[in-house]
Amino acid sequence: MTARWLTVLLTADALVVTPLAVEARPTSQSSISATDLLDRIHNSGDVAWSGFVESSGALQVPDSESFANLAQLLGERNELRVWWRNARDWRVDRIRSTGETDLFRRGDTSIRWVFESETATISPVSQVRLPDASDLLPPTLGRSVLQGARDNELVRLPARRVAGVDAPGLRLTPTERAATVGHVDLWADPDTGLPLRVELYGLADQRPVVTTSLLELDLDRPAAETTEFTPSERTTVNYEDSVDVAAAANAFAPYDLPLSLGSLASRDGEDPDAVGVYGRGPTRLIALPLRDRVAEPLREQLQASTTAEETIVGTVAMVGPVGLLLTYHNGRGYFLLAGTVTAETLERAATDLLEVE
Amino acid sequence: MIGVELVKMVRRPRTWVIIGMLVALPTLVAVLLAVTDLGPRPGTGPPFLSAVLSDGTLFPLAALGVVLPLFLPIAVSVLGGDAIAGETQSGTLRYLLARPVGRTHLLLAKLVTVVAFVVIAVLVVAAVSYVEGRLLLGQSPATGTVSLSGSTLTQEQLAGRTTLALGYVIVSMLGVAAVALFFSTLTTSSIGAALGTIGLLITSTVLLGLDAAEALHPFLPTRYWLSFVDLFRDPILWRDVVRGLGVQLGYLLVFSLAAWASFTTKDIDD
Amino acid sequence: MKPGAVNPGSVIRTRALTKRYGGLRAVDDIDLDVREGDVYGFLGANGSGKTTTVRMLLGLVLPTSGAVEVLGQPMPAARRTVLPQVGALVEGPGSYAHLSGRANLALLDASGPDRSPRSIRRTRIGEVLEQVGLDPADRRPTRAYSLGMRQRLGLAAALMRRPRLLVLDEPTNGLDPQGIQEIRLLLLRLNSLGTTIFLSSHLLAEIEQMCTRVGVLDRGRLVLQEQLDVLLRPTGLVAVRTADPSRCAVLLGDAVEVVEGDRLLVRADDPAALNAYLVGQGVRVAEVGPYRRDLEQVVLEAGSGERSDHQPLLRAVSRERSDHRPLRRAVP
Repeated sequence: MTARWLTVLLTADALVVTPLAVEARPTSQSSISATDLLDRIHNSGDVAWSGFVESSGALQVPDSESFANLAQLLGERNELRVWWRNARDWRVDRIRSTGETDLFRRGDTSIRWVFESETATISPVSQVRLPDASDLLPPTLGRSVLQGARDNELVRLPARRVAGVDAPGLRLTPTERAATVGHVDLWADPDTGLPLRVELYGLADQRPVVTTSLLELDLDRPAAETTEFTPSERTTVNYEDSVDVAAAANAFAPYDLPLSLGSLASRDGEDPDAVGVYGRGPTRLIALPLRDRVAEPLREQLQASTTAEETIVGTVAMVGPVGLLLTYHNGRGYFLLAGTVTAETLERAATDLLEVE
Repeated sequence: MIGVELVKMVRRPRTWVIIGMLVALPTLVAVLLAVTDLGPRPGTGPPFLSAVLSDGTLFPLAALGVVLPLFLPIAVSVLGGDAIAGETQSGTLRYLLARPVGRTHLLLAKLVTVVAFVVIAVLVVAAVSYVEGRLLLGQSPATGTVSLSGSTLTQEQLAGRTTLALGYVIVSMLGVAAVALFFSTLTTSSIGAALGTIGLLITSTVLLGLDAAEALHPFLPTRYWLSFVDLFRDPILWRDVVRGLGVQLGYLLVFSLAAWASFTTKDIDD
Repeated sequence: MKPGAVNPGSVIRTRALTKRYGGLRAVDDIDLDVREGDVYGFLGANGSGKTTTVRMLLGLVLPTSGAVEVLGQPMPAARRTVLPQVGALVEGPGSYAHLSGRANLALLDASGPDRSPRSIRRTRIGEVLEQVGLDPADRRPTRAYSLGMRQRLGLAAALMRRPRLLVLDEPTNGLDPQGIQEIRLLLLRLNSLGTTIFLSSHLLAEIEQMCTRVGVLDRGRLVLQEQLDVLLRPTGLVAVRTADPSRCAVLLGDAVEVVEGDRLLVRADDPAALNAYLVGQGVRVAEVGPYRRDLEQVVLEAGSGERSDHQPLLRAVSRERSDHRPLRRAVP
């Protein structure tokens, strides 16, 4: 009698423990230096791969049509399927239990497919845009936070198994005073330099505010037809000039932003048009003109936040490490300044901005 | 013995009442959709239900999505819970065992019978809802059905994937069947065994909604039930389907063994 | 394997058979011995452990200790070869309520490892249904059956495969007097054709009327096991009923064993000679004849021999017996 129950217990035990044990087997450590690893990561943009990414964020970003699906990306768990042929040819599916939203990139064209509404939106890729699902992938996010990283900001972390790879780790601790990101931990494939897991910590955080990790990885180049979108006859196809509000504003708003704001330099070093992205590595600030009908509802949302504060330049709110500032009407319009920078930096940037305009 | 059990199941009026109820719900949904022409808002409600108004060939899948989370597992719990406890209640268990029928053999026959019920129920629901979809809801477009990823599935592809989905739904019920069978060997009350199983499924569903239980999620029996949707992405996303198969086979193995350990050492004194 | 080879003539044999539920000894160290051709009466009050014993014989309940041998082979190890030769009725019949009696029997027959060919099965089922007094053409579901009809169906199931051994637990439950008599005659006929019958009952009358051998179970212990005719053999006493008991007692002196009102038990070899003597002495004799003990007394004595507090056994057995007196009268 006991022997039979023992069989049951052992079977159940084996079924539960075996996968856990396989997962927990020791990782092999790599002797690669932080600088070498950084180089490889920088050069991994055109590494072809496909896989399954899970990201989770705890940031309650205000829900506004101007932010597209930023609230979803940073505040929820996302499951992403990725086929990456190179930096200009890829596909990212954000899957849901009953549907999916897919992003296709082919050269200078981007296509967004939403299953539930059976619509495909085709628009040109623009230099300036809001973050989308493709920016949440460990490789893209990892390369972005390491942009301009300096040697004294980096230390090596022990390797960790990610998607079956024994991945050496790297910790970036930004030295800038404007930074609200305490540190970023990331683990990359030692051979290709492809970042496999990225964890973003706020200044005083014990737990990451944003985590994105590959769960499955295949380093074979995906077939060309997987990243190609062929609409069916029933699909509603829309053509739009801009991929989102930031791109639209950049193209059409009558502003010319300065090369630096709040002592942060333009991110790509070029002189921005109506929308500017500033800062280095994980410190990132975007300045974006808003229309009146978008700005006022957004201000109400910001004011509802517990951290909201009125300053002489506008309304400021901090959501974890993300700061948002909406300026008051300056006679021509509104500006939104948002990014992983301190409230003080936001105010100085707003002051700079209002002086220029 | 398996043949005898199948005959018992088929000749039992209750079997057909349950299948009738399983068919009734999607039928009601189909009629309401056809009359009002009001689908659920895209992205809400059961999978595929928002798409069936324009494409009736998807209705079998929508119907399975409707019955899978609640009706089908309850039906399986009731049948599985009745397997041994019902024989005890009707006083026939002791005569079967004295006939003699081996206890392991009897358990196996009962398990096969419950699975056969699931197969029949799923096929009937799919067939009836296919006819309903064609008659009441939108005709399928000549160019084929649109996958979740926006590509076009040919009729053959759709038929193949629908078959896979039916198979997956059947497999999804294996765990429930084994758990119900196990509970059925513990008690003399078939209702008790069914309620115990349903209780376990409710617990699983509640835990799935709880982030604190995240470490348990991959082991919960209801975790991957709706993953048959992944078969309609392009390319097919096997990840959760494979995990779902694994979980179900695991539950099947462990609880069948537990049922065996419990039943073969049990004194039949009721 | 030849079942008779090991224990010639032994059909059921248990050694120190014990079943404990927690601290309770439901069956306590019993050694049953049932022989080929017996109608064995297994008597005991409700709750004395009869049913548990029967279940252990059939391999439904596993003994805590001790051994069971049925048809010469160990149970439950040899149940695949033993049980097909055994017909059983345990604690009431069981059937699927939505099926007819015939369908129930067909399913039960088909369940076993040694199903008979279809045609034989059909005729056999018809035969046993007739044997137990059910209409083979009856298509009603068994939920419409009366208690008696269900009991008959249960018997039919036990008889269906022409077993060598019938193990029947309270087989006449729910039957009317007419039915009890029919079943009794049926069982006796089967016994005369060679079937060994193990009959468990709490009814003294039933055992007394049918059995050739008796085992008495009291609170899990086998307190008596003997041939019925040995138990009830003449006592060497003569019972005399007279209007003059005291005069009679004086006349017979030491030969008188018991005086009970108008009845005396007298040690005497020949009742006729005793009668002639008493009448010759002018004693008014109302009735005279050899005295036989009845089973109730035997059981009572067995119980009291084992233990001083035999009251529960006596009460249970007697009450049941008085309940059934009208039935006994109906029996010719």
